[in-house]
Amino acid sequence: MMRIVIGEGSCGIAAGALKVHKAIENALENKSKIEIGKTGCIGMCFLEPIVDIYDGKKLLRRLVRVSEEDAGAIVEAAETEDFSKIENIAISEEDEEFLSRQTRIALRHCGIIDPTSIEDYREEDGYKALKKVLETMTPEEVIEEIKISGLAGRGGAGFPTWFKWNAARQSKTEGKKYLICNADEGDPGAFMDRAVIESDPHSLIEGMLIGAYAIGAEEMIVYVRAEYPLAIKRLEKAIEQARENNLLGKNILGSGFSCEMIIKAGAGAFVCGEETALIESLEGKRGMPRIKPPFPAQRGYMDEPSNINNVETFANVAWILNNGGAAFAAMGTENSKGTKVFALTGKVKRSGLIEVPMGKTLREVIFDIGGGIRGEKEIKAVQLGGPSGGCIPKNLLDTVIDYRALAETGAIMGSGGMVVMDESTCMVGMAKFFLDFTALESCGKCVHCRIGTKRMQEILTRIVNGKGREGDIELLEELCEAVKDGALCGLGQTAPNPVLTTIKYFRNEYNAHINEHRCPAKECAAMLTYKIDEEKCRGCTLCAKKCPAKAISGEVKKPHIIDENLCVKCGACSKVCRFGAVKIL
Amino acid sequence: MDKIKITIDGKEIFVENGKTVLEVAAENGIEIPNLCYNKNLKIYGACGLCVVEINGAQKLFRACATAAADGMVINTDTPRVKRARKVALELIMSDHVGDCKGPCSLNCPAHTDVQGYLKQIALGNDKKAVEIIKKKIPLPASIGRVCPHPCEANCRRKFVEEPLSIAYLKAFAADNDLASPEPYKPEVAKATGKRVSIIGGGPAGLSAAYYLRLAGHTVTIYDAMPEMGGMLRYGIPEYRLPKSVLAKEIKAIEKLGVLMKNNVSIGKDISFEEIRKNSDAVLIAIGAWKGSSIRCPGEELEGVLSGIDFLREVNLGKRPDIGKNVAVVGGGNTAMDACRTAVRCGAENVYVIYRRTRAEAPAEDAEIEEAIEEGVNFKFLTNPAEIIGENGKVKEIKLQIMELGEPDDSGRRKPVPVEGKFETLEVDTVISAIGQKCSAFGLDSVELTKWGTVAANENNMLTNLEGVFAAGDATNNGASIAVDAIAEANIAAKAIDAYLSGLPLEFFKPYYSEKEVKEKDFSGKEKIQRAVMPVRTPEKRKKNFNSVILGFSEEQARNEAKRCLECGCHDFKDCRLIRYANLQPIVPEKFKGQEHKSFVERKLVTIERDQGKCILCNLCVRTCKEEAQKGILGLVGRGFETVIKPEFESPETVRFCKDCHKCADVCPTGALKILE
Repeated sequence: MMRIVIGEGSCGIAAGALKVHKAIENALENKSKIEIGKTGCIGMCFLEPIVDIYDGKKLLRRLVRVSEEDAGAIVEAAETEDFSKIENIAISEEDEEFLSRQTRIALRHCGIIDPTSIEDYREEDGYKALKKVLETMTPEEVIEEIKISGLAGRGGAGFPTWFKWNAARQSKTEGKKYLICNADEGDPGAFMDRAVIESDPHSLIEGMLIGAYAIGAEEMIVYVRAEYPLAIKRLEKAIEQARENNLLGKNILGSGFSCEMIIKAGAGAFVCGEETALIESLEGKRGMPRIKPPFPAQRGYMDEPSNINNVETFANVAWILNNGGAAFAAMGTENSKGTKVFALTGKVKRSGLIEVPMGKTLREVIFDIGGGIRGEKEIKAVQLGGPSGGCIPKNLLDTVIDYRALAETGAIMGSGGMVVMDESTCMVGMAKFFLDFTALESCGKCVHCRIGTKRMQEILTRIVNGKGREGDIELLEELCEAVKDGALCGLGQTAPNPVLTTIKYFRNEYNAHINEHRCPAKECAAMLTYKIDEEKCRGCTLCAKKCPAKAISGEVKKPHIIDENLCVKCGACSKVCRFGAVKIL
Repeated sequence: MDKIKITIDGKEIFVENGKTVLEVAAENGIEIPNLCYNKNLKIYGACGLCVVEINGAQKLFRACATAAADGMVINTDTPRVKRARKVALELIMSDHVGDCKGPCSLNCPAHTDVQGYLKQIALGNDKKAVEIIKKKIPLPASIGRVCPHPCEANCRRKFVEEPLSIAYLKAFAADNDLASPEPYKPEVAKATGKRVSIIGGGPAGLSAAYYLRLAGHTVTIYDAMPEMGGMLRYGIPEYRLPKSVLAKEIKAIEKLGVLMKNNVSIGKDISFEEIRKNSDAVLIAIGAWKGSSIRCPGEELEGVLSGIDFLREVNLGKRPDIGKNVAVVGGGNTAMDACRTAVRCGAENVYVIYRRTRAEAPAEDAEIEEAIEEGVNFKFLTNPAEIIGENGKVKEIKLQIMELGEPDDSGRRKPVPVEGKFETLEVDTVISAIGQKCSAFGLDSVELTKWGTVAANENNMLTNLEGVFAAGDATNNGASIAVDAIAEANIAAKAIDAYLSGLPLEFFKPYYSEKEVKEKDFSGKEKIQRAVMPVRTPEKRKKNFNSVILGFSEEQARNEAKRCLECGCHDFKDCRLIRYANLQPIVPEKFKGQEHKSFVERKLVTIERDQGKCILCNLCVRTCKEEAQKGILGLVGRGFETVIKPEFESPETVRFCKDCHKCADVCPTGALKILE
């Protein structure tokens, strides 16, 4: 049976997948031999919309950047099995490397199965691990298997999963225990959790059920940000299917184990990704962290023992139980086992979601999978871990993906945001970008974070505006160290990381801004001067027409000039000039 | 219950299991600063002040939330802890908009609690007012008369109409107290057996003697002059400060048991070394008694004298022969004292030669005004070019005419000569009042500054010699106003007391929160005119040395004191924030940036809330919920913009507020005030 499958994750839909779907559906009229279906996100965001042609389970062709006009040719090709007319939209061998160089466990079904079909999931050994666990294993044995696997929390902190499960298991209560999934993915640039829920919701449910069984939880809550409507919709549907199939509710699969599952949509506060703030929010309170101890395993949601893991962590669980903890632990380094999903973005040629075994170097990820830097520029640094993470300069690109090795650079593994920067990125500006974010997202509870991040942001702002003062670097360092020490939760404790790592590796850029009023990356508008090269200017007047400040004057066919006093440094002239006559000094 | 052993700052403590580190420390007299903790409320952990280091752990722990565990070794005062705490306080203070003290107090060199004593004067409690003043100024009747009162220059009442008459109110209260049957007399502490010698019985020496005596030390003042008082007696003319007033205040100090030895000159009657040998600590407070020379040809002529020499002679009861025509050179308060004294000595034409204009003159404007009233002729924009003599005696003074040029380092416009323009005055005497110098005679082992003054550490007034301190006009920057000398004496007394008790001398300038204000902030205030001090008429006062001022009436004084705007914080004495802020030096200015808006609101029953002073410790919110069981207050907004408001910003919730005051009781700052 020929199948045409369209990638309909949020990224695919944003690129036009639903229109492509409709067009293919129309083209398929009366051709009942061909099935049309949908799948989630394969991770190749740069190639969306993506359409796969399968014969049964065999992938015949992967078509990329598909448009509605291609629908007829796609249907014809599927019908005739003659793909010559669509070779132009088939994925290139080079781009195939994006997938072929990955090892996918958490993302194993993403972009392959239909996320709205429990049958699809079951065909891929879905709920087999749960069945095995419920029928043949004690909770202690499950925890032991997770311990063997070496699985650590994928949300950022990298805490051993078995330890948390065990603590929650050991915790006594007269009431009930809770298992909570943190799907409040808030790091700008990270979207693996959304992709997993949108593309493979049952693997989350199965992973959570195994966890709930292990700790003895009777209720599971998924805290997912309201900005993920498609993820919520698909998870709701999956929960419904699971209930219908006795995978949720009372006496699951006849095992005597009962567990319910609900979704709680969060209002989109970054701090609610911090587990204690998440619990407060679940309880209907203002999202502010609680002081630890007590840890959630002792007194969490509703003051009951609770365990919280991130989506990606749960997505690995069924695989581990199916394949054994040892198989998972066989991948990776001494300290970090298994694989990790990254959202690879920034100035790379191929951006998207990738999953690689721990122990790969950053260079391999960026160059072998990401294809290196777009355009002619050189790589400068890579930012790991979003606003909580740090930047790693190009001379440290051979650092391996490993919790400890990354921490030694000053960055963190984090939830997997990986932003690649080239020479044109100002590192002070980048630190400011992240501090703008954390200062805004601070909950306002503790002094160090509420005022400390604000002051960092103010100092960085004056530096990028060319008003930095002597001693500002030292002041930032003093402030950062104190905030790391004094902030209440992970948000504040890690907020200084982007500042500290950029100072550590790019101190000269800070100095250039402060002492020479110069932005080496030529990104900070306040310190740039735009000038027209008289020799290159042909007097086409285009720049003068585009200038929003009317700062450019000159006669037709004669060299133009920019009035520095009027120039607002927007760069419009430089962008429109066809002769490269606008110089940025 | 099980007992466990923990160690805090090296102290081994056995304690019942189940307590936090903060609780155990507090029970054992170790204070760990905290602003958001309250034993009746759930642990919150926001202020970050209670952080401690625990041996073997990488990160810092919040003592309020850390359970004491057996074998735990805790340090509450390590450099890392202090840094985190210091930055926390600097951050809090960078967003704490309010005045700890009024600008009057902050601009008083002695940091007198002006607002405090004005309130007592307004209430009619002069003795209580004097008690407050004497915590900083032991000579209030004298200082109230002579002080150029920087307090008044900074009084915010000036934004309404005119500043309060603070100095005269001080004199008013002190006069009343001195005249009362039982004037204020402070307690003297138990004798310590330590001996302190003070060289110089001026305002600095007398003040230091007062405070050191109160601390229980045996204090002896040595003074070269026949009577105590220093420049207050020999520099200030009788008509400004009657000797009888000064004498009463000195007597009060003597009555506390201070030994006073006059007519003793160091290096002549007794050596400095001998004084040191006989004392456990020494304070040098010798003042600045040498007039600066006029530095123009003819200065050696007979009839040229220095202002302070002239004033001293007159104060000693002599009447120097100054003739009919007298020129006084200088524009400061000594020049005013000299010219007005010359008038009283019978001179007919008295000139003041000053190279700038009236606006730049350092003398108080009222002094200039009164001198003009008394017939003094001010020659502004003139400078002595030459004193011309005849038979070795002054005959004329040739003046260079000046004009104002560009501003100099002090910000005043620099006087420059107008080429070729001169004026000549016939004079019998030229009195130079252009500055004073210190003469450190007999103090050879003491390190001096390049100006010849005694070099002393500003923070503790310690000199280069073990146990030897210095204060007043004789130190560092030299001569200044009396209250400056007293301020230094206060620091020296504190340091000497610490030194004698074997405590460290690491003092630093205290930090106070200050709010920027604008004139328009006071636009709604009712205007009440400043009390005018009754004075004798110029005609009468010219003829003798009787006091120019006649003193406020009772009604005048009480009403004047009531004009006080009470700028300082009502909670200053109990404020935990400011106490912690002064445990180590902090510099919040380095984090100056956006601040919360400062305004006062009265939404809660009997509670006034000052938004600027709120530090978001959330104690009020939690108390209202957990203790008062109301839950009226809540946090609104996120990040830096967070503020405390009625929960969900609903005015309806406020209707549930009763006057339980629990929120104001727990507020660690002055943000919540119970309305009387």
